[in-house]
Amino acid sequence: MSDTTDTPEVPRAEMEADIVCVGFGPAAGGFLTTLTRGLMNEDGTPVAESAVVPGMPPQVICYERADDIGFGVSGVVTKGRALRASFPDLDLSQIPMAHEVTDEKVLYLRDPVGASRRPAVFKLADKALGRWMEDDAFELPYVPPFLQKHPGMVFSIGQLNQWVGGNLMGTGMAQIWPGSPVAEPLMDGRAVTGVRMADQGVEKNGTPGPGYMPGMDMKAALTVVADGPVGPVGQHLDRALGLPEGKHQREWAVGMKCVVDLPEGCDWQAGTVLHTIGYPEPEIFGFLYVYPGNVASLGIFVPSWFGNPVRTAYRYMQHWMQHPYLWKRLQGGTMRSGGAKSLQESGRRGAPFLCGDGFARIGEGSGSTNVLTGSGVDEAWATGVMLGESVLELMKEGKPYTRETLEATYVARRRASWVEEEAKVAEKSRDGFVSSVVKGFIGMGLTGLTNGLINMPGSPIKPQDRIPTIEEYYKGYIAEGEVLEIRAECARKGTSLHDALMDRVGWPQIPLDGTLLVSHQDALLMGGKVQAAPGYGDHVRFADPYTCEACRERVCIEACSGQAIYTNPEGGAPLFDREKCVHCGACMWNCSKSDLKDSERTNVCFRAGSGGLHSVEN
Amino acid sequence: MSKVLYLAHTECDGTLHKSALETLTAAKALAEGLGGELAVGIIGADVAAAADSVAGCGAKIYGVSGPDFADARYASDLAAAEAVATACGAEIVVAPATSRFSRALPGLAVRLGGRVDTHLSGLAVADGQPVARRWFYRQRMEGTLTRSERPWVLTLDSGIAEPFAGAGSAEVEALTVDVSGVRTKVAGLECPSEDQQTIRPDARVLLVAGAGWTKKQADGAVHVDVAEETILNFLNATKSSLGSSKSLVDISGEGNAVISFLTHMHQVGQTGASPRHAKGLSTCCHGEEPHVVGWRFISERRAINTDAGCGWAQGKCDVLYVGDAFEIMKKVNEMLG
Amino acid sequence: MSEFHIVVCGSIVPDPLQTLAPVEAPTGWSLKNEMMLPAVLDPWAGHALYEAANLAKKHPGSRVWLVSLAPKAKLQQVMMAVSQKAPFELVVADGSASGFTDSHETARVLAETIKGIAGLETSKMLLFGGWQSASRGSGAVMQMVGEMLGVSEQFQGVDKLTVHDDGAIEVKERIEGGSYQNSLVDGAPAVFGWATGELPEPPNNPQIGMQNMQKNMPALMQAKPADLSGTTMKLASVAVPQQRRETRVVKDAPVDEMAREIVEWLKS
Repeated sequence: MSDTTDTPEVPRAEMEADIVCVGFGPAAGGFLTTLTRGLMNEDGTPVAESAVVPGMPPQVICYERADDIGFGVSGVVTKGRALRASFPDLDLSQIPMAHEVTDEKVLYLRDPVGASRRPAVFKLADKALGRWMEDDAFELPYVPPFLQKHPGMVFSIGQLNQWVGGNLMGTGMAQIWPGSPVAEPLMDGRAVTGVRMADQGVEKNGTPGPGYMPGMDMKAALTVVADGPVGPVGQHLDRALGLPEGKHQREWAVGMKCVVDLPEGCDWQAGTVLHTIGYPEPEIFGFLYVYPGNVASLGIFVPSWFGNPVRTAYRYMQHWMQHPYLWKRLQGGTMRSGGAKSLQESGRRGAPFLCGDGFARIGEGSGSTNVLTGSGVDEAWATGVMLGESVLELMKEGKPYTRETLEATYVARRRASWVEEEAKVAEKSRDGFVSSVVKGFIGMGLTGLTNGLINMPGSPIKPQDRIPTIEEYYKGYIAEGEVLEIRAECARKGTSLHDALMDRVGWPQIPLDGTLLVSHQDALLMGGKVQAAPGYGDHVRFADPYTCEACRERVCIEACSGQAIYTNPEGGAPLFDREKCVHCGACMWNCSKSDLKDSERTNVCFRAGSGGLHSVEN
Repeated sequence: MSKVLYLAHTECDGTLHKSALETLTAAKALAEGLGGELAVGIIGADVAAAADSVAGCGAKIYGVSGPDFADARYASDLAAAEAVATACGAEIVVAPATSRFSRALPGLAVRLGGRVDTHLSGLAVADGQPVARRWFYRQRMEGTLTRSERPWVLTLDSGIAEPFAGAGSAEVEALTVDVSGVRTKVAGLECPSEDQQTIRPDARVLLVAGAGWTKKQADGAVHVDVAEETILNFLNATKSSLGSSKSLVDISGEGNAVISFLTHMHQVGQTGASPRHAKGLSTCCHGEEPHVVGWRFISERRAINTDAGCGWAQGKCDVLYVGDAFEIMKKVNEMLG
Repeated sequence: MSEFHIVVCGSIVPDPLQTLAPVEAPTGWSLKNEMMLPAVLDPWAGHALYEAANLAKKHPGSRVWLVSLAPKAKLQQVMMAVSQKAPFELVVADGSASGFTDSHETARVLAETIKGIAGLETSKMLLFGGWQSASRGSGAVMQMVGEMLGVSEQFQGVDKLTVHDDGAIEVKERIEGGSYQNSLVDGAPAVFGWATGELPEPPNNPQIGMQNMQKNMPALMQAKPADLSGTTMKLASVAVPQQRRETRVVKDAPVDEMAREIVEWLKS
């Protein structure tokens, strides 16, 4: 693409480290915590000498895209087994917004407004369970063991990251650099030799501009890929190396969430955990974790198998919050911050090659998330710990980081771990959702209760292949002609199509109150808004603009968690506003068209980019 | 008995600025409230006219004057202030937070072995003690404070009292201050000409231009020329002051179309200014919180935005007009003639 | 060509995009969740640092120190971002960066810390800082630090600094009404409280970052606790003002009508 004729000759800088890690989340936290603890012998000598700075212990660098190591992540409930193993004396009161799980409930929510699309079984349940319902919610008499997080903990990953990162930096054994987007791995055949940082001083389309500074190459004997499910290095490796046979990443969800100051007198105690099903749509799960200080992290998961092509998670979350059971306790609260994140829901089935010459993969992007128990943070941490132990072992033995040595250490540890054992059970648990939401729930139950022996059959479909047209989805609800009219009206006024369609099928308007029910844009301004450093190229691009031009669903626009993707008034591919992007990566799978060059992917490319939400809470 | 020294400097025409007269009212009230004595110190090229203009306050007036004190300069202003404060044995020094005194007077606290609190938004007496009020964290929260260290130097922002009125014939005790060792020479001022003048602190109305002025309009094109003309016509017709949002100032860095007469100096908000005007009209700006904190001292607020759900609608302005600022402002200009 | 020893005073402030609220504790006022809030280098001090680095680059032999009074754990995190922007030597006083601290105490600690910098020559010293912090916003600390160090050529609201061939420094300071005052000082030492300056924020350069942190990590580790207790200043109350207005939204009205209403309001 770039026109090199008038590109200023700026040399690309190059540096060397022993280990470079991409992305600082729970997986990198587990890796670096384990590694740094073992780098020095008791007598104060390093266990191995750095290959790049002789006489020094190994040089360990971690690059994080976000402007701060605690930015833009998520609230979480977890059993915390791996975390506790790393920190046996863990005192949760030392980490802001952390607490033991004290109470756990699974709630079935009835539709109080009559706009939800409920299969017959749900309608039946609405009636049958009615007499035991409180505020239109039925509390499951017990939490199925596979969903239980008790004993466990709730916390904000942002705060955990800050705590872990602070401890790590304090050791002086690793450097964690925020605001440092990595563009891609440096590859030599199938081997990885380091990473290349994103170029700076470029135009939106990536061509060099004034102040052009090509991204530095950081060479390293080992590259640890921990950049999550939508990270550019992981994606690049998946494209370059392909996925192992039978593996694919076709299941996704976006978590749309916020942190709320609960109203005074709210009876939820710190450590309360709620999981909800049934509303606003049967496919949408809800969660709510109560932190100390009358604060809660709450939100919904909108999965890729949800059939609505104008899926706007934000509005669904607002309807969910207003469900009588929740609203009774939320009303009068104040939103502190909002955010969103993509979850790779293929789990073990989406696992890539875990290692190769010069690289290893950990965390969510390595397929560690357990899709049955809905747990990923502790699993990610555990994979980091396993790699940390393996790297120390190889260092001490003076062995190189090759596919063979990493297979024999890291991969072997993973295969023998509880993470793997439980992921195997979970692997087919969500297959039922391929055909219907009811079969999906039955499937999860079957898998969970039989420990994976019995599963609901189903073969996962690529997200872009399962998105119907708007007319198909609203068939029987809105006549085709009327859809056309609504579409034209919205285009003319420049207003949102999803709002118009949801209004039309009976979803009540959101009574904005300026504190908890706020506009989508305001939610992204509360408690730290989106910031994008100048000089980087756009990280959301469209592979083939002509495909976009012909696209009528435009799920990317309707689903965008930051309203950063919007209609181009001149037609053609949608426009992208970096200043609004929260880096959830949902556009990557919220697209109804395949990339012409790679049918496993959609037409939306999500690449390396700087900035994002400035919030350390959610 | 507390000795309250009111310090002021003259403007280039030899008069005292409105904010200096407001500060005198506050200083006088403070001295009275404390049962103390007020003294006045004036610094400038020629202080006679200024002294006469406040002679009615009844305080003893000290003056430091001469060509060395014509211009705002840290070392000479501080030396003059120190001379006056020492001469009158000031325990509390009250002065307007002009750029000149904001530069010079913090140093006075060190010279006198005292303390300083700046940019006060209020000054009162409670339990026989001065109580100062000021903003913290860029106008986000306001606190009241007291302290027992003396001398205590206080600078006051404008708008906290009525300007003092009480001219007469003043007798000024002239103090001689040697500033021959000062190494700085003031070369002069760069003032925007009347035509280019867009920041007018004394204007009644503030017009804020947001990033929308430089974005693509309904026809898919950018119309910066029209935007500039519309904004300038309005400013010329109303003699309003011009402010901008941070995003409009920032986008100039990314090779976008820019409004040629806007600079960082115009920026209103958390990383910019918090100007004081009776009325403020926001155009093409989303009303985000970091910007709106800069509106703290704008009494009446109206906004024009195409988005009915923008930040302004959330209780941040009195009236939000949902419409195209290009069209509305064009019409406004026509009506203003 | 002149050689400068540029000392930049700059601390951290809460990321300006965060929601801030005051809370009172037995130890005094602070921000709610202060240690949780992400922090950034104080914006105007940041401009001072970039200007300092730029000036040092143009005057070979010059050195740049960043002197920071801040809680070191938090500062360490911020330094990982700031270090990538410009080369400097970090000097840390480990203490509160709160906006509720007495400006005099902050100045005293900074002045004492600067006096302790090995190799700093006062005759070459340019003392840089932001002209106001985004926390206290007093616009008083730099002047006091200068006074305490005996530097009485001072400038505030600086947007431009030009060094002449004879070593004299031309300064452009912001004053009221969008005007500037130009001055000429015959050379160092002098104090400059920077406003926005003229330079854009430099890109993140990982190479500069690593070079910086090699020498600056020890400075962080060795930071001495700062004593800010020498004040009688008491904050009786701190409050976020109630600022919500009853907004009337005028929609779907003809342009003429809206314009007429605005003109009437402007004239009233």
